[in-house]
Amino acid sequence: MYTHQGQDIFVIDGHTHLWDASPANWRNKYGEGWIKCFYAFHNGLSPAEATWPFEKFCQYGEETLVDDLFFKGYVDMGILNSTYLYEFYLNGFNSHSQNNAIKAKYPDRFILCGSFDPRAEEAGLDAFHQMVEEYPIQGLKLYTAEWRDGSRGWRLNDPWAYKYLDLCQELGIKNLHVHKGPTVYPLSRDAFDVHDVDYAATDFPDLNFIVEHVGLPRLEDFCWIATQESNVYAGLSVAMAFSRLRPQYFAEIIANLLFWLGPDKLCFGSDYAIWSPKWLIEKFMAFELPDDIKKEYGVDLTLEIKRKILGENAARLYGIDIAMQKAKLSQDGIGVKLATVA
Amino acid sequence: MMYNGVQCEFPPGYDGTVLLERLQPILDPELDESILQLGFIQSLHVHDGHATIAVQLPTSWCAANFAYMMADDIRRALLTVEGIHQVTVRLQDHFAAEAIETAVNAGKPFAEAFPGEGCGSLSALRVTFLHKGFTSRQERLLRALRAVGFLPEDICALRVGDVVVQGDACVVQRAGHASIEVGAAETLCRYLARRAELGLDCAATAPLMTDLRGHPLTVERLEAYYQTARTVRVSLEANGLFCRTLLTVSQPNAGERAR
Repeated sequence: MYTHQGQDIFVIDGHTHLWDASPANWRNKYGEGWIKCFYAFHNGLSPAEATWPFEKFCQYGEETLVDDLFFKGYVDMGILNSTYLYEFYLNGFNSHSQNNAIKAKYPDRFILCGSFDPRAEEAGLDAFHQMVEEYPIQGLKLYTAEWRDGSRGWRLNDPWAYKYLDLCQELGIKNLHVHKGPTVYPLSRDAFDVHDVDYAATDFPDLNFIVEHVGLPRLEDFCWIATQESNVYAGLSVAMAFSRLRPQYFAEIIANLLFWLGPDKLCFGSDYAIWSPKWLIEKFMAFELPDDIKKEYGVDLTLEIKRKILGENAARLYGIDIAMQKAKLSQDGIGVKLATVA
Repeated sequence: MMYNGVQCEFPPGYDGTVLLERLQPILDPELDESILQLGFIQSLHVHDGHATIAVQLPTSWCAANFAYMMADDIRRALLTVEGIHQVTVRLQDHFAAEAIETAVNAGKPFAEAFPGEGCGSLSALRVTFLHKGFTSRQERLLRALRAVGFLPEDICALRVGDVVVQGDACVVQRAGHASIEVGAAETLCRYLARRAELGLDCAATAPLMTDLRGHPLTVERLEAYYQTARTVRVSLEANGLFCRTLLTVSQPNAGERAR
């Protein structure tokens, strides 16, 4: 909970990870390269006090996550992303079953995302059913650039992906967090291309597609699609991190999103542990759009809009009644401890 | 010795500036910025007509297709320098370095770097990004014109010949009007250069503002066109900034190279 001038602001962190990228888990050089790349994101944009040594960044554990999100970072609830990367990490990077360990301890604090990979075809459909039966899956994280048996990615409008999306509708899994990565089949095409989201969003109007990192590095294509499709939303992680070093660009990105998508489709995310919610939220709450940007775009980032971005929009997507949820959260282990600290 | 932050080693008496000049126009196609100014060139060594150049991209996960394009452009550019008969490009710390280096240094197409991975030609991808760059460059000129008070009807009436470079400035000179400075000369030059590269009419009598097909922008269309172009520009610039930040982390010297 963030408190602004006596008012509580409910925070849902839409993009969090509890990963194991320790060297013992590296399958090959790609596992090492992957976490080093993440570390460059972390190191390049975090303030000094929130910058970790590489060893801690590789594996920080449950307690650190709970502390950084709920005790230090103003977060009320976190969405746990599941990113498997079995071709890079022996036990996976952060799978839904690993994530579920922390979800089981604090069931009201987390929304657990599962995943699917359409390249698993028929057998994967059964596994998907099983995952949904065994785990409290409320959403999905789809990482289209995952490597698998020589393939370097897939697209949401692949025929097999549509079978999985059909199944999502059938099983009532409505929210799909979509992330584009750098290597998608075929390699001659734009690996960050977001147009497949457009097809899937049109053909599956009952599903919501939350495009992580606002489609960056293809912000313009993303804005266009999200303007056309009422069920396409923006996940703000990565964009949030510009707020400290490059406020001018942060202002322009936010102004573009407000201009094209409006205030009801933007959801906060930290991408923890790449960045910590504490400084992101403090910067965001202190941030105001400069007058020239307000004037040019005809938008403003008011307190009401900040509340929507930080929690209300994600709460609506996941059917969370904020007042009821707050009451519940005040009773769990974290809530009780927070009350004694305050 | 260092040239603009690039660690260079040339034979005694060899003037290497021509090599750096040939590298200057090579762009990161995705960012539409010079790889030299982005700080991607780490070192350049020349021995017996053999140039070896080390390229450091912002992360080891930079897309393989763009990495190939830059490496291939570098090799081709250096081979145009008199006396250079062999070029070896090294991609430092990149997940696909070996495949890309092997293909590029042997002058082989991208598809041969990744056999069986559905690689067609990269030309369509290149065109897509030349178009994005056009839009972004044009937006900067539109922005500069709007900033000094040009109305849509003024902007749409401008011809290529009405806008000229004077020193470091871009100046609008219309018959019957006082000259007006509209930002930096570079803004105009970059826009016209890309326009020519795309084969669009750059004659003095041609309309200054056209779309990618060469159709003049009309007053009715201008505002919506500008709003879309603005997002393209913000996207490209934000990505460039992100890449620079990442490169500075892994390569503190890159800050010196980057402009």
